Amino acid sequence: MDLLLIGLIILVILIIVILIAIFFGYYNKIIRFENRIDNSWAQIDVQLKRRAELIPNLMETVKGYMKHEKEVLENVTKARSALMNAKSPQENIDADNMLTGALKSLFAVAENYPDLKANQNFLNLQDELTNTENKIAYARQHFNDSVLVYNNTVETIPGKWFAGMMNKKTREMLQIPDADREVPKVKF
Amino acid sequence: MEKKMLVEEHIASNKRKTIVVCGLMALLFIAVVFAFGYVFIGNIYISLAFALPIAFAYIAITYSTSVQQILSAAKAKPANPHIREQKLLINRVEEMSIASGLPMPKVYVQESPYINAFATGKDPEHSVVCVTTGALKKLNQEELTGVIAHEMSHIKNYDIRLMTITIGVVGAIALMSNILFYSMFWGGAGRSRGGGRGNEGQIILIVVAILLIILAPIFSRLTYLAISRRREYLADSTGAYMSRNPEGLAKALEKIKDDSVKEKPVGSKTVAPLYISNPFKRQASGSAWSTHPPLEERIKRLRSM
Repeated sequence: MDLLLIGLIILVILIIVILIAIFFGYYNKIIRFENRIDNSWAQIDVQLKRRAELIPNLMETVKGYMKHEKEVLENVTKARSALMNAKSPQENIDADNMLTGALKSLFAVAENYPDLKANQNFLNLQDELTNTENKIAYARQHFNDSVLVYNNTVETIPGKWFAGMMNKKTREMLQIPDADREVPKVKF
Repeated sequence: MEKKMLVEEHIASNKRKTIVVCGLMALLFIAVVFAFGYVFIGNIYISLAFALPIAFAYIAITYSTSVQQILSAAKAKPANPHIREQKLLINRVEEMSIASGLPMPKVYVQESPYINAFATGKDPEHSVVCVTTGALKKLNQEELTGVIAHEMSHIKNYDIRLMTITIGVVGAIALMSNILFYSMFWGGAGRSRGGGRGNEGQIILIVVAILLIILAPIFSRLTYLAISRRREYLADSTGAYMSRNPEGLAKALEKIKDDSVKEKPVGSKTVAPLYISNPFKRQASGSAWSTHPPLEERIKRLRSM
């Protein structure tokens, strides 16, 4: 009789310990996934700033060579100010698209200027900007990946219960409009 | 025609199959330990006490083989940002590290006319990616990105750790089998096993144990190679997801297929599974003895994603 009681008590303690372990597991998982989201969001910002810094330098380098490409150059400047003056998230996305497109056109047109292409400074800037644009794209991709993992945990059982207890909600993914992916039309 | 499968399905399937093959390896190890115990010592627990330290020692030795040694054997140098094509390499590695969320690995370059790349390091915080100069010359940026994504997938999936442990187990199995074999050769099989058991039963068990001892090293090697191939497919699919562009790696693999160079490759053979294609053997066609799946099949699967 005593043995049975002891056995039962041990069993109950064991179950409680296991439940606590599961709780710790999910709590930590949810926090970690959330931190990953915040981290990747910050990463996007870092790359956007980097791009903004590179542009004045680029404009200085090309304006001597591409004197007759007023439209292409103006598009970049216009897009950059639109980005700096953007207030709503939607304006931000539109301006960002505009800038990416304007830069693509600029580099496409630069193909016609062999002197410019031989300029070491220009090559460096082109490599840097390509690098930065790629990083922006991958940072956004990683953001969405992180949100997916987080949402999966928070929406499925049993994560759903823990998320409720911690008052954590699902997060939204970034919508990247396809305007970003258009091939720029270049007039010759 | 490969059925159109989502990248995620490829990844899940590859992970499942790895577990199956690793399970096989574990069973093999246990069987050899038992055979060792039964034939040699007559007591399974002592045999386990003997076998486990051997296995751990093997693993510890191979694991601690410093990354530096692997890099020196390959004559790899840190990537030089002042050389444009190496700066571009660093840029692509930075991009993949952002896409994967992994910390930025060290980037090295190996002088070699072949197109190839490898990754090493005991965990993502201490990882290294190395690409050949041949690859930098012959691949465009899209293909290079595909190759880098594949290598970083090895890092992400802890393949280096997995393969090191696996080769440790293979080594331990081979060592135990050797000891058993030679000890039996020079008389001494079947010591105290307690009297009173039927002779036939004992003989059958001894025969089984002997067969196991002879075949285990071969089977464990085959299993190791099966695991290696499985992880290659996994790195292909994880890399495709990372770069969102399976075609990049597919094109690079096609260039590797047609890559023909007469020079003899330099480096340590243990790292062979970490390369994107085995540099020591031209294994375009598959076989149970390849560390890598056949290039044709890898390209086919990538294009079906």
